[in-house]
Amino acid sequence: MLAYLDPGTGSMLVQLIVGGFAAAGVAVKLYWRRLMRLLRIRKDEPELQPAEPDRDG
Amino acid sequence: MAPRGHDLAAERSTEAGSFRDHDSRVLVTPDGVFRVLSRDGLEDWTALAASKLWRELCAEERVVATEPAAVDALPDVLPTEAAAALRHERVPFVSYPYEWPFSMLRDAALLQLDLNRRALREDLTLKDASPYNVQWRGAAPIFIDVGSFERLRPDEPWAGYRQFCMLYLYPLMLQAYRDLPYHALLRGSLDGIPPAYARAVLGSAGDRFRKGVFSNVLLHARMEDRYAAAEGGEVKRELRRAGFNKTLLDATLSKLESLVRRLEWRSGETAWTGYGEDNSYDAGAAARKAAFVRAAAGRRTGRLTWDLGCNDGTYARIAAEHAGTVVAVDADHATVDGLYRRLRDERRTDILPLVMSLTDPSPDLGWRGRERGSLERRGTPELVLCLALAHHVCITGNVPVRELLDWLRSLDATVVIEFPGREDPMVRRLLGGKRDGANPDYERAAFERALEERFLLDRSEAVTGTRTLYEARPRA
Repeated sequence: MLAYLDPGTGSMLVQLIVGGFAAAGVAVKLYWRRLMRLLRIRKDEPELQPAEPDRDG
Repeated sequence: MAPRGHDLAAERSTEAGSFRDHDSRVLVTPDGVFRVLSRDGLEDWTALAASKLWRELCAEERVVATEPAAVDALPDVLPTEAAAALRHERVPFVSYPYEWPFSMLRDAALLQLDLNRRALREDLTLKDASPYNVQWRGAAPIFIDVGSFERLRPDEPWAGYRQFCMLYLYPLMLQAYRDLPYHALLRGSLDGIPPAYARAVLGSAGDRFRKGVFSNVLLHARMEDRYAAAEGGEVKRELRRAGFNKTLLDATLSKLESLVRRLEWRSGETAWTGYGEDNSYDAGAAARKAAFVRAAAGRRTGRLTWDLGCNDGTYARIAAEHAGTVVAVDADHATVDGLYRRLRDERRTDILPLVMSLTDPSPDLGWRGRERGSLERRGTPELVLCLALAHHVCITGNVPVRELLDWLRSLDATVVIEFPGREDPMVRRLLGGKRDGANPDYERAAFERALEERFLLDRSEAVTGTRTLYEARPRA
């Protein structure tokens, strides 16, 4: 199922700042991973199927 | 409950404002308000209906009353197959955020955030954050878009954040921080104020350190510029891998809640805020005016009364003794804000205060001009009060007297109208800056002639030496 609103890429990322202290860990991890990728220390890992709520009831 | 076998397909008229969500669409029929759900929409509704949250919200009267509807055939109004229908209570009078005073928009924002935070506790969330999903029972907000609730995907960022900023937070900030009314901006763009526009107003040195501006406005606008071409799905995956979770979502909502709570608009004195106490009436005249309005209102018990130019709401309160709902309209933002706060504190559910200039009233707007209705299209009143209004519309607004009366006649309602003559101190003040003889049609005899051409005069009474009240029914 698709959400009908596009959350907006910039708007998703700015939530890491708005969320304050709680978000700091996630923000650090996100940018650390980007840095590692940039330095080619780490490759992109294959996407795992996210744990979604059971859509089929 | 809808009568079994009710055929929605036969008499439907889709509510034009509800098409954007492809899992849920509202139909307004003579039988009531129905919502058609897709299979996904139905599963979300089932999860909501089974939750403790839903029971609480119904008990608090914070959501529109809703029940499953038994229908024969589900109409084909969704892009996917329809799976079920719900029936909603009818809201007394639909209104829009560009008509709400500051405190109303602020309370709607707090309701939106409160619902979302409480939903999270039961692994539900709201898929959007639009004030168009909030309506009013008098001064009490109710959330009407049951289709907004969905099951939570805990590792996804909040899809409604951008919309919350554009339609709630920025308008409130502009009013609170810059004393800039947001009504024209929201009316001009139904999607609200984009981050870059908010930055253009709030980006100055004086404002950038105010609470919430740096992250929600400046950084938000910058991120939006920077990631304009980025693929949203990739960022979503990155966030998921980095561990985005429900706690973080709640932290965002909680920060916004405390930010909105701290936003205050000190409206100060406008020409009208003190009008109720300090106007040109002595106590005797005020009592005569109140008695006249009370008698007119008491002659009928209507569903809907409009009080146009309501000021401090004195006469709206009198009209409310005999009407289901009084829509109290005034162009002065500060006055309506004060009225709303008083009504809210008294927990009144029968008077809906709105900010609107009658010489520039809310038009039909949005997709094909049908998403948001003009004032008249949202319900017609049985009684209209026009007290201390005609001179403002006709002299300040330069609307010919006959035009004003034509419009009132088109409402097909009884009117109580006050006419201050040219010798009235307020009228002289309004005419003062104009050339002698301006607005020549604004004159008592001409007014009375035009009134009687369109209406049957039931009675009239002089309330002061210069002001007369008329009660009149539309001529067939």
